[in-house]
Amino acid sequence: MNNTFNINRFGLLLKRQWLDFGKIYLISLVVLLGIVVGFYGYNIPSPLKDNNFDYDGNLDMRFRYPLFLILGFVFISIVASSYFNILGQKSRAILELMTPASTFEKFVAGVTYTAIISLFSYLLIFYLTDLAFVKYLNSHLNAFNHPGIRQAESITKEVFNDEGYRKYCSYFFAFPFLVTSIFLLGSIYFNRFHYIKTALSLMIFIGLASYLVVKFSMWIMEGKVPYHHNYRNDDKDWILLALLLITSIITIIIWAITYIRLKEKEV
Amino acid sequence: MNKQHHTLVYYLTNTVDMININNLNFGYSKHRPLFKNMSMRLSNGHIYGLLGKNGAGKSTLLKNLAGLVYAQSGTLDVMGYDPAKRQPALLEQICFIPEEFYLPSVKIDAYIKANAPFYKNFDHNYFTDLIKELDIPVEQKLINMSYGQKKKVIIAFGLATQAKLVIMDEPTNGLDIPSKAQFRKIMASAMTDERCIIISTHQVRDLDNLIDTVIMLDENDIALKATVEGITAKLTFKKVKEIDDSIIYAEPSLSGYNAVMPNYHHEESKLDMELLFNAILAEKIKFKPLFS
Repeated sequence: MNNTFNINRFGLLLKRQWLDFGKIYLISLVVLLGIVVGFYGYNIPSPLKDNNFDYDGNLDMRFRYPLFLILGFVFISIVASSYFNILGQKSRAILELMTPASTFEKFVAGVTYTAIISLFSYLLIFYLTDLAFVKYLNSHLNAFNHPGIRQAESITKEVFNDEGYRKYCSYFFAFPFLVTSIFLLGSIYFNRFHYIKTALSLMIFIGLASYLVVKFSMWIMEGKVPYHHNYRNDDKDWILLALLLITSIITIIIWAITYIRLKEKEV
Repeated sequence: MNKQHHTLVYYLTNTVDMININNLNFGYSKHRPLFKNMSMRLSNGHIYGLLGKNGAGKSTLLKNLAGLVYAQSGTLDVMGYDPAKRQPALLEQICFIPEEFYLPSVKIDAYIKANAPFYKNFDHNYFTDLIKELDIPVEQKLINMSYGQKKKVIIAFGLATQAKLVIMDEPTNGLDIPSKAQFRKIMASAMTDERCIIISTHQVRDLDNLIDTVIMLDENDIALKATVEGITAKLTFKKVKEIDDSIIYAEPSLSGYNAVMPNYHHEESKLDMELLFNAILAEKIKFKPLFS
């Protein structure tokens, strides 16, 4: 018997976890859908409103970007933070840890639910809601009585048709995984109030790290003058690439720590 | 000891040390050890009764065996595996019934469908029989059942897994009087030569006629580990009118005293576990030479 990873056992584990995790997850998807629909319903351009256009004269759909980012952060972090929280309760932790699956399988199941399924379902719900509202808007353009009005584009079309957006999206690809990895670790690290404690720890860490980076930069730069002679625009790409690599590496490190914590978990 | 060695010994002797504890040291904090250099062997074909005062470490010992907590030092061997590694091959051979547990908001069928496939020897017919015998309402969601009913479900599930090591922490807590009798009956029938059953309890009367070996924990170690036959061969449990020097320990009762004394004349008597428990705690030094 393979005591590290067995695909059949992993499949059974995903099914078993769904029994407990699935119901709450589906309810949270319904809540998510409600929030997205509510925000779109309130902010979407309407003939009854005065300011329906952006600076370029297009229908103003800019509210979608902050909504997508903030709601996405909240949703995936809450899902990740709730996955291993059962291990903080003695009565549930015993049966979880005694389930005949390896620690690695239990960890991969956690990553699958929090980093893959939650992210995919969020993107799907946002995409479908956006598409539905954009279609509805485009079929009622005449109601705006605005000559030369252009059709609105779905958020995915807008992002993928623009080279700048595409580039940024690819460089920030690891960010959602980083968020889920941090909150997944928090769910196993803390026994109670996982979300608040993880968010607080994250804030303290970011605050401290920013302070140290600024202080360090000031110390390095002290007494020096800016020198832009060889400045190239490509340098920005290197910074973004470094960002992608750093976020990816930190994500993998945090997942590794989560696995070790799960292995060391005692009841 | 590896798995092949276990199998060989089993075929030759029909008995094997399922659990081998060597110099186990454990404590929830470094300054307050719970077990100091504890060593013990437990083999198949026995029902062990684990007794001890509150805080003696009964539940903790069971958790050590199941790999739910980690020893500070010493070795633990359960069926050739290190329980701390939580390997599926060992986990599917352990049925752990904790004192506190949680069952999800589903019906029994869904619970079985999700959990039984992890145990390749799970006996669905036996589970159905146990559910009927224990009078558990199958149409009700697990979360809506009473504590006693939930406990019966988890016991039935655990036994149906056909696990070789059955660990039960206070299994009769929350069971009503008829259920306790049913529990004893089921456990007696669940005992096979291949199985090792360890039951920890405060309610020693619930285990009357069920256990064959008594393990008593006290002061960071094992105060007593002896078979019921071994105990009654060395000690006799009697009602006496007056106390004399031959009595090791006695408790007043309505008609005199319940006493424990050395069994010099090979008298047959029934083990009074409660009396033995109190006697060992009160007169540990006097009992030590008898069971060393």
